[in-house]
Amino acid sequence: MLGDISRLDLRLRRQSSIAYAVGVTAYALLIVVLYPTFRVDTSLNKLTEGDSSLSALFGATGSLTSPDGWMNANLYANFLPLFVLFMTIGYGASAVAGQNEDGTLGDVAVLPRTRAAVLLEKVATLSLLSLPVPLLCLVASLAGHHWQVDLAVGALIGTTIGVALLGVNLGLVALAWGSWTGRRGGALGVATGLAAVSYIVSSLAPVVSWIHPLRFYSLFYWAVGDDQLVNGLSAPGVAVLLSSAVALGAVAWRGFQQLDIR
Amino acid sequence: MVITQPAAPGPAIRLDDLTKTFGPLHAVSGLTLEVAAGQVFGFLGPNGAGKSTTIRMIMGLSAPSSGTATVLGTDAWDDGPGVRARIGYLAGELALPPRLTGDAILGWTARARNVENRSRRHELAERFQADLRRPVGTLSKGNRQKIGIIRAFEHDPELLVLDEPTSGLDPLLQKQFDDLLAETVQRGRTVFLSSHELDEVQRVAHNIAIIRGGELVLADTVSALRARAPRSVELTFSAPVDKAEFDALPGVQVLGQQNGRLVLAVSGEVGPLLEAAASHHAIDILARPADLDVLFRSFYRAPQEVPVAR
Ligand SMILES: Nc1ncnc2c1ncn2[C@@H]1O[C@H](COP(=O)(O)OP(=O)(O)OP(=O)(O)O)[C@@H](O)[C@H]1O
Ligand SMILES: [Mg+2]
Repeated sequence: MLGDISRLDLRLRRQSSIAYAVGVTAYALLIVVLYPTFRVDTSLNKLTEGDSSLSALFGATGSLTSPDGWMNANLYANFLPLFVLFMTIGYGASAVAGQNEDGTLGDVAVLPRTRAAVLLEKVATLSLLSLPVPLLCLVASLAGHHWQVDLAVGALIGTTIGVALLGVNLGLVALAWGSWTGRRGGALGVATGLAAVSYIVSSLAPVVSWIHPLRFYSLFYWAVGDDQLVNGLSAPGVAVLLSSAVALGAVAWRGFQQLDIR
Repeated sequence: MVITQPAAPGPAIRLDDLTKTFGPLHAVSGLTLEVAAGQVFGFLGPNGAGKSTTIRMIMGLSAPSSGTATVLGTDAWDDGPGVRARIGYLAGELALPPRLTGDAILGWTARARNVENRSRRHELAERFQADLRRPVGTLSKGNRQKIGIIRAFEHDPELLVLDEPTSGLDPLLQKQFDDLLAETVQRGRTVFLSSHELDEVQRVAHNIAIIRGGELVLADTVSALRARAPRSVELTFSAPVDKAEFDALPGVQVLGQQNGRLVLAVSGEVGPLLEAAASHHAIDILARPADLDVLFRSFYRAPQEVPVAR
C-alpha cells in the first residue's frame, strides 16, 4: 500500500512534518510538566463548575485537577485533535486536489498504475501521517508519570488510536471532496467546517441539553468526547470511526475514478 | 530493461469522434484522426484550439464527453496501467516539485516505472546538457523543460506524447531535440507532438493535423501540403490589366495590384495563369517557392477566410 507515490508525498512533507512534530511534542511536554503546579490549585475547578458551556466549548468539563481532566482540557479534547487535523486535512486536500492544481498529479496518473492503486497509496499515506502527532503525545503522556500525570495506559492508548482515526476520517473528507471537485480550497473548507461542527457538538453535548442527543453524529464524540482517557476507546467508537473511514474512502475512490486530471 | 514489443498492428493512436465539453464550451468536438505507428505526427493549432485537452484524453487523464481515443490498441480511458507503461508523456505545462533535483525526480520516475537501466538517462542528460544536481525550482524554464523531456524518453517508450516539447529550448537544443525525434522514429517508435509553430513541426513531422476551435481543419502529409501550398507569383504587364479576370482563374487569388503589376497567390496548376498572362503580353514574371507558412496562417484564421486550395 505504501509505494513510490507514498514515498514521494512523504518526502515532500518530511521537513515541515518534522518541524511540526517537534513543536507539538514541546507543547505536550509543557502541559505534562506544568501539571504538578496546577494539581493543587482548586480554584481551577471553578471554571467548569455548574457545567459552564464556555469552558465546555474549550473542551473542559468536570475536574481539571485530576490527571485525566487536566490532560483532556489541555491536550486530548482539543489541541491534539486540532494538531492531527492540521496534518491530515492538509494532506487530504493536497493529495489529489492540491496536486492537480499544482499540475503534479498528472505525472503520477500517467504511471502504469490504476487510479484505484494511486488512491490507495494516498489513503495509506494519510493514515501514516495521522500517527506521529498522537504517538508523540502518547510518549509525552507516558513520561508524565514522573510529574504525577498518572493515566490508565490502556485508555491512553485507546485515545491515541481514536485521535488518529479521527484525523484519518476528516482527512478523507478533504480527500473525497478534492477527488470529486479537484479543488483544494473547497476540500480544506468542507473538511475544516465539518471538523468544527463535529467538535462543537461533541464538546457542548455534556452541557447543552438539545445538543446532547446529537453527539452520536459527531466523530469527535466517538474519538475523544466520551471520557476516553478514563474509559478507553469504546467498541462502538472503533466501529463508527472505522466504518465511516471505509465509507469516505469509497466516496473518494468513486470521485477519483472520474476526475479530470490536468 | 524495457522489453521492446513489436509495433502493434494498426495505428498508434486513433481518435474517433472525440469530444470534450466544459459546460457550454466545446474544447474538442468530433475529432477523428489516425496516427500511424513509426512516424512523427505534428498536432498544430493556435492557442486554445484544444490541443492539450485532446492530449489529456489520449493519456487517459481526462474522460471524453463522447467518442473514443484508442492508444496502442486499447481505450485510453478504460484501460490504464498496461498501456501507460508503453507511453512517454510530457505535459504542456510542466510542473515539477521545486525542491527536488532533476536526479531525484528522474530517479523516482524510473523506480516507479521499473526502469533499471540508467545509461539512457545519462546519455540524454549529456545530450541536452541538463543540470540534474540543482533543485528544479532554481532552474530556468528551458532547463526544467529538459528534465521533462528526459523523463518522457527515459524508459524508451513505444509511443511519445509530447505537448509543446520545445517550448523554452534554445535553437541549439531544438536541433538536438529534432535529432532525438528522428532517431526515435527510426527505431520504430511513434511520436505525437503538439505545437503552435508550423516551422518546428515541418522539419520533423511526416504528417500534420491542424485544429482550430476544437475542430479538425486539416490533416495531411507535410509533402502533400507543400505541393498544395500557394506560391507567390508576381507578373508585370506593359499596361494595367483587369484584376477580376485573374481572380477568376482556378487556384489564383489576387493579393495586390499596382499599375501593370499583379501579385498573386497560386495553388495547383499554373498553366491557365500562364496562358492568361501571355494573352495580356506579360513582360516579366517572378515566382517564389511554396510557402507553407502562408497556407498555415490561413488555417489559423476564421473558416470563411481560408483560401480554397484546389
Ligand atoms: N478544465 C477546463 N475547464 C474549462 N475550460 C477548459 C478547461 N481546460 C481547457 N479549457 C478550455 O478549452 C479550450 C482548449 O484548451 P487547450 O488547453 O486544450 O488549448 P491548447 O490548444 O492546448 O492551447 P495552447 O496552445 O495555449 O496550449 C480553451 O478554450 C480552454 O480555455
Ligand atoms: Mg496547450
